[in-house]
Amino acid sequence: MSRLALLVTLIAGSVFAHHGNTAYDETARVRIKGTVTEFIWTNPHSQIYLDVKDRSGKIVHWGVETNSPGILTRAGWTRRALKAGDEITIILCPAKNGQPVAYAGSGDPGTKVIFADGRELDFTDKTVDKTGDKTAP
Amino acid sequence: MRTLVLILLLSAAANAQAPAPRRDLSGVWGMQAARETSADDKQSPGGEIPPLTVWAKARYDLQKPGYGKRAAPGGNDPILQCDPMGFPRILYFPTPFEFAQISNRVLQMFERDHVVREIWTDGRALPADPDPLWYGYSAGKWVDDTTFVVESTGYDDRTWLGAAGFPHSESMHLEERYQRVDRDTINFTLTINDPQAYTKPWIALPRVLKLRPRAEIRQGYCVASEENAFTKRIREPGALKAGKSSKR
Repeated sequence: MSRLALLVTLIAGSVFAHHGNTAYDETARVRIKGTVTEFIWTNPHSQIYLDVKDRSGKIVHWGVETNSPGILTRAGWTRRALKAGDEITIILCPAKNGQPVAYAGSGDPGTKVIFADGRELDFTDKTVDKTGDKTAP
Repeated sequence: MRTLVLILLLSAAANAQAPAPRRDLSGVWGMQAARETSADDKQSPGGEIPPLTVWAKARYDLQKPGYGKRAAPGGNDPILQCDPMGFPRILYFPTPFEFAQISNRVLQMFERDHVVREIWTDGRALPADPDPLWYGYSAGKWVDDTTFVVESTGYDDRTWLGAAGFPHSESMHLEERYQRVDRDTINFTLTINDPQAYTKPWIALPRVLKLRPRAEIRQGYCVASEENAFTKRIREPGALKAGKSSKR
């Protein structure tokens, strides 16, 4: 956990349920910054892998679970949304056990990707209209 | 004064919901989020779960969820290895689905595994001794111009009624009511009758479906080889006991 503590920015802690795994601390929002090594666009879980330098200068390889291509597409993503070499910040829910795996997706509002130029990709469904539909998982 | 009346009339017209078309559910629909009855209760009908029979309790105890408070590494939720999710669980999975109507059937098309569930509308009865199927055998009829009622049975009992692992038997009988109250809204209710598993009917939490004209149903196949790779790289490290190092 100390490794995490160095990197952590904790953001507000309301609990939102998602369909995912109890492995993640969904009350936490942690900010990590690193270089994308791989973006896997598969069902039912897309994945973002990135190298993150901790405060001692050591590179830690992180794996981040995110949504299916269907959910991501409706949130405005494409399979080319991220590519190896991209410098990004992710706000995510970390694993409770301190391993460098995490969740960022539609189940946990506030999670998102922020690019170096400030552009953001979040997980809210952009096809929901004003009739009040809230089909977010 | 006349202008004021005109403005009020125009404003009322703008706010009024367009009426439901007659005997038509066509379109992409999304289930509105409902308050989950517990953190354990995902992809589930919700509502008050009736007492389990001895048969169902024995099955429930063998089912090891991957999600919720009974979750543990090595869970046997069928969907963790991309086995069919089954009905009604797939209806509560958080992606939209589409209704299409053809001459003798209403088709319910889901994103997960690109499943098509056929609901026969040619007046046939449900079979007395159906083969168990992942998505059951379904027959539907319009009971009025906006309410479509579906009866179904013949469900393979390997599917779960949600991520928490509540079971059902092969003799489960479902009654679904889709009442299209205006163009954009369906009020949905479901009753599960399964005396082999539950001592009383399970009345699902009423849900609201909203028309999603800008959403499209993708081919969301769960591919076992990809799911296994994900499990090795992310799910298993996340399930390690704190303090152990990852082998990655």
